[in-house]
Amino acid sequence: MMEKALTTMAKPAATAHEALAPSDFHSGATPIWCPGCGDYGVLSALEHALAAHGRPPHEVVLVSGIGCSSRLPAYTTCYGFHGVHGRALPFAAGVKMARSDLEVIAVGGDGDGYSIGGNHFVHACRRNLDMLYLVMDNRVYGMTKGQPSPTTEADWDSDIAPGGLGLRPLDPLAVALAAGATFIARGFSGRSHELADLIVEGLRWPGFAFIEVLSPCMAFRSEQFGWKESVHPALRAIDNDRAAAHAALLADDGYGLGILFKEGRAPASAASAARASLAEIEEEFAVCR
Amino acid sequence: MRKEQAVARSSLAVVFAGSGGAGAMTAGELLLRAAAEAGYYGMMSRLFGPQVRGGEAAALVSISTHPVTCQPDRYDLFVALDWEKVDQFGAEIPLDETSIVLADPRQGPTPPSIAKSKARTIPFAMGHAEVTPLERALHGKHTNVFAAGAVGARAGLPSAPLQKGLAAALGSKSGAVTRTNAAELDAGIAAAAVLDLDLRLAPPQPAARWLMTGNQAVALGAMRGGVRFVGCYPITPATDLVEWMAPQLQKLGGRLALAEDELAAINMVLGASYAGAPAMTVTSGPGLSLMVETIGLGVAAEIPAVIVDVMRGGPSTGIPSKTEQSDVSIAIHGGHGDAPRIVLAPTSVRDCMFTGEWAVYLAESLQTPVIVLSDQALGQAYTVIDPKTHRPQPLARRTRLGSEPFKRYAVDSDPITPMPRPGTAGGQWVGEGLTHNETGIPVSGAAAHAAQIDKRARKIAEFDPGHLWGEAWGEGETAILTFGSGIGAAQKAAQRLAATGHPVRVVSLRVLSPLPLKALAKALDGVRRVIVMEQNHGAQLYHHLLAHRAIPVHAESFARPGPLPFRPAEIATRLA
Repeated sequence: MMEKALTTMAKPAATAHEALAPSDFHSGATPIWCPGCGDYGVLSALEHALAAHGRPPHEVVLVSGIGCSSRLPAYTTCYGFHGVHGRALPFAAGVKMARSDLEVIAVGGDGDGYSIGGNHFVHACRRNLDMLYLVMDNRVYGMTKGQPSPTTEADWDSDIAPGGLGLRPLDPLAVALAAGATFIARGFSGRSHELADLIVEGLRWPGFAFIEVLSPCMAFRSEQFGWKESVHPALRAIDNDRAAAHAALLADDGYGLGILFKEGRAPASAASAARASLAEIEEEFAVCR
Repeated sequence: MRKEQAVARSSLAVVFAGSGGAGAMTAGELLLRAAAEAGYYGMMSRLFGPQVRGGEAAALVSISTHPVTCQPDRYDLFVALDWEKVDQFGAEIPLDETSIVLADPRQGPTPPSIAKSKARTIPFAMGHAEVTPLERALHGKHTNVFAAGAVGARAGLPSAPLQKGLAAALGSKSGAVTRTNAAELDAGIAAAAVLDLDLRLAPPQPAARWLMTGNQAVALGAMRGGVRFVGCYPITPATDLVEWMAPQLQKLGGRLALAEDELAAINMVLGASYAGAPAMTVTSGPGLSLMVETIGLGVAAEIPAVIVDVMRGGPSTGIPSKTEQSDVSIAIHGGHGDAPRIVLAPTSVRDCMFTGEWAVYLAESLQTPVIVLSDQALGQAYTVIDPKTHRPQPLARRTRLGSEPFKRYAVDSDPITPMPRPGTAGGQWVGEGLTHNETGIPVSGAAAHAAQIDKRARKIAEFDPGHLWGEAWGEGETAILTFGSGIGAAQKAAQRLAATGHPVRVVSLRVLSPLPLKALAKALDGVRRVIVMEQNHGAQLYHHLLAHRAIPVHAESFARPGPLPFRPAEIATRLA
């Protein structure tokens, strides 16, 4: 008898579901976000994208770490997990590796994903599991009230770093590319419909899809209100040519929206079927038969 | 004329020692496997430094007509494959004036670190006489196989099990290598005929047995319990556990994920478990230190997980390759906030299977992290065991929704609440590490905080291990209370003391936390003197027992750091 393998649940045929509406993904819980926070736009785009994608809420798992944006899972009707700071990606990887039938989405902010979770970000790009990673980047630690994050401008003045931290901001898209990501995109919370379309593309991508979302913080970075003037369509979308993609990202001003890079690389495979029993494995230990 | 012992010995303890690469471990495994195939019990411990190549290495082999559960007080035979690194561990291998040193005179005289034991050195040319030094240099030295053959033959092991042992020890080497070694083994067996050395063992009692390490036994137990996902990061002395397990998981339709660090490993485990798969991580002290935050998350969000810690010398990087029992405190208390968890410790290599399986059932049924404290001495000891053993009653995770509206973290008479698998329609829930209300929404109110902390604490407090708490062995008004790799040596010491009219009990804990207070009280009933024995400097278990009033205030502590194993004579001396 074959032993019980990592199991999946039967995936119902897409037609079995009534057409889904964004409201089917809306839990009704009141977000803790400040008025004007970009994350509202991301939540709305995500709900629209999930409805368009067509998988019901109980087949979706949203995983997050710590920070304002990491509160998102509870605002949806999906399965979710709100873990510790910086560890959303490995948790999500565990979900996907154990249950390839589930739609897995990791969400969080720039501090969570690029600072404390930076190592996991690099390795999630390498691992290329079939999941979506949505980073709501406001270039500040909002929940702890305004400290510079890895994407904050070097001269941004704050209580903890008067006159600015003086560090070059991290370019998460270039890091993702260097780490082997196969789908790299940038969205803007202020353009919710476009963002929803990007998310649908990411959900359909057979591998690790990384979407950096410019999502302004009205409490500590009100100047980001001006991002709606800065954003523009990405100059170039590059397929498969990593060298060209590096060059394009180096030339990028940080506000180009859309899919910047895609590479057809097979995603990490699911576990294979059982082909031995425990009793057969135990034979290895037998002596003096 | 050969001096034969009047009575054949019931046990034989042999050391094969040399510099790294000399093949000490292969020699030891060859002899142990041969003895096991011939029907003897045995155990081989490995003594080595941190170097991958070129350090010191010694295989410590005990063979007996009875089960071997600890390292011996002294070794009968020390086989020097070379003398290059012997000073680095000579002091850690007990020899005395009745021990024999077997050494090739071509390697030079017996160095003082060994000679001071007054052990008698027997010169013995190791290696095929017809092989020239040049051939030896070109084709490698097979001194180890030659020596193992000679020792095995003197112990009375027939040629067939010795050849079988060689084949197993070499694994999948090329045909040429296998043939050369087989010839060398035969040469060793032949050379033994002229050796003035009586190692003759009493006849064995053959039966179908298993030869395995404690690490393999934990892995097997976990897989029996249903673990099909492992997330881990390499760390000595836990790596061989996961290296053995990875291909087995593949055969079973599971998988092992090599994480980027221990933080990722434990989070992958929680993720897989949240998704519905029994999951485990395997580490040692430094890795456990990195995992404690997420273990607290597992407690708070109520996610099953098994965390195996194969303990080594600490703190910091400590002694990676050698044993200690100094993670008791971090296993029980590690982490911030109130985060009670279950901590188990296997009572023997054989029990690693049972405890590994039971840990999975407890994690799944109580929806909480369970830590299994093994140690290097158990984990890396190749041991012959009787495989037929009782198994724990399977317990499963509660996933089915009730008729009442679903609240993942409902505060009810039963603290164990349903956790539906993702994919279940109508069962959606958000696992939450923040203080949360009954539905899992984060709140910061005092009432919800107290209610949820109480819910989780009750799961642990109401857990009753029954007769699986541990074991009381022997009788008497003196009791050694211990755990893990110390148990075998304690029982051996107690046996000896009982033979001299001083009965001693050995009380062994399988459940370190929550302490099985009632069972302990019963096990210690009538005891006037309690000695808590553990392998760490700070008496971590002793203080844990005192804090819970599990032992009387006048109980004694016998705590010392590793890495040297507890040996029966040391324990008997301490009790005298």
